[in-house]
Amino acid sequence: MIVNESVLSLGISLLALFIAGLLATRINQSLTAVFIVVGMILQNFFPVTIITEFIATLGIIFMLFMFGLEFSVGSLVNNQRKIFFSGIYDLIFNFPLGLLIGWLLGYDLIQSLLLAGIIYVTSSVIVAKSIIDLKRSANPETEYILNVLIFEDMFIATFLAFIVGISNYGQIDAKGAFIVILKTSVFFAFFIVLAKTSNKFINKIIDIEHTELFVILILSIIVLSAGAASYVGLSEAIGAFLAGLLLSETKQRHRISEAIKPFQQFSTAIFFVAFGMSIDYKHIGGMIPVGIFIFILSSFSKVYGGYFIGGKYALSKRAGLRLGLSLIPRGEFSIILAGAISMNPGVPYPIKSLTGVYVLLSAILGSIIMKESDWFIKWFIERKDTEVKQTKDPF
Amino acid sequence: MSEIKECDLPGIGKKFTLELDSGDKLVVVIHFSGEREVFKFMKSSDEPSSVTTLTDEEARQIGSILSGTYFQPVLEDEQKLMMKNVTMEWIKITDDSTLANKKIEELNIRKMTGVSITTIIRGETVIPNPRAGEIIKPHDTIIIIGNNDQINKFISTFEIKQRIENDRQ
Repeated sequence: MIVNESVLSLGISLLALFIAGLLATRINQSLTAVFIVVGMILQNFFPVTIITEFIATLGIIFMLFMFGLEFSVGSLVNNQRKIFFSGIYDLIFNFPLGLLIGWLLGYDLIQSLLLAGIIYVTSSVIVAKSIIDLKRSANPETEYILNVLIFEDMFIATFLAFIVGISNYGQIDAKGAFIVILKTSVFFAFFIVLAKTSNKFINKIIDIEHTELFVILILSIIVLSAGAASYVGLSEAIGAFLAGLLLSETKQRHRISEAIKPFQQFSTAIFFVAFGMSIDYKHIGGMIPVGIFIFILSSFSKVYGGYFIGGKYALSKRAGLRLGLSLIPRGEFSIILAGAISMNPGVPYPIKSLTGVYVLLSAILGSIIMKESDWFIKWFIERKDTEVKQTKDPF
Repeated sequence: MSEIKECDLPGIGKKFTLELDSGDKLVVVIHFSGEREVFKFMKSSDEPSSVTTLTDEEARQIGSILSGTYFQPVLEDEQKLMMKNVTMEWIKITDDSTLANKKIEELNIRKMTGVSITTIIRGETVIPNPRAGEIIKPHDTIIIIGNNDQINKFISTFEIKQRIENDRQ
């Protein structure tokens, strides 16, 4: 059955999302994974339309904007040392792995870098939600998990700007890297200076009582920033992120969030569906073994990295393991990265399909692992203890 | 007093940790949504042994109980005991009242009857704890307080006819 009417297909997608989402919340699964699956199923009935694609683009922009808006600059400044060091350890343990795998899969340097980002970044949406649902917000490891997440998100936002810039330039060489880094820095600096010097002015401009005009003004700020970033050859997403950061320091922050949230929820859902629809069934079969392979390797490196961070900050073994086991789910950022640059179609392992398989595996299994981590931790600690006893007992 | 450790949970809220004398730990997490969670950690355990989730309003109530500032209404029995001895009376001042157009101090109400005027209601305005120099005017309503004997004495002394059935019950 082919439905050609694009508005009708959008309606069907939304209804399917609702039903699937309802089921997902019953079994405590993350919506991200379910939305992608819905997209994969729907591609059999109708193609991705211009409307879907357009909304999906807005989805990335709004997601990054909300992320910037809710980003707590205060806690970043207060805990900068802890965030920096936990984040760096996590980066060292997990980023090079993706580069290595990319090289093994025959990717070029830009693609390998992209894969490294996809594999490295844990989903802060899924993990933060699981922490709250599992009543772990007071656990000793939780603040370190969140510190790692905040570092990763900051890193990936910058990385996204860089990778899109370098991909537009065409190749990685010293000159290209220099130009892109310069562009990115100037763009960031512009927004940071604007936030620091013109906070009062911005507050005055956006202090509009008329609800409709307020929404239009905020939308124009978001889309203009995204467009400006795109115009200078960086990713639209980074422009939206910086617009969010800029507005996060204003008095209207809460109102902005209320106004934009419905747009964001709608367009982000469509973004995940569109991503699911773009996963090619032809490739899926070949992707599954590779996806499982990457999932296992990267889960080990995440758990080990987390355990290492726990040790550095004198957490108990138990808490350290829980820290690592909580970092497995991948989600929104991996998907954004996968669609961020257009790939040359001859690649043996198309990065979108691979990322689809990998994100589905890690989002679903990662949430389950978080929930069921107790028995593993128990087993691991008992095993360690018997080892210690054996070595202590010479007879 | 024990030290309270404060810690940001980016994306979730703020965490406060209180080490108790017993060695157990009490941790309060205030979510950005306003929801509070109270966790108890037993000595040297890094998993909570209990969790309580409170709404913003519940948390405020519990907080005021814990800090001892929660207003506890007097039990009904005690209230009766109190009201047995003390009565408040609403009295309308007529044109020909003996109280009308006189300063409170001139009337020597307290000295003669033991009753005090707590409030004068004059049209829309209310004068609580009126000064001795305040003049009682016709059509005022005054609120007096005293025990039953004193009230009765007040009524007979000043020949009050117009008592108002008040909503004291």
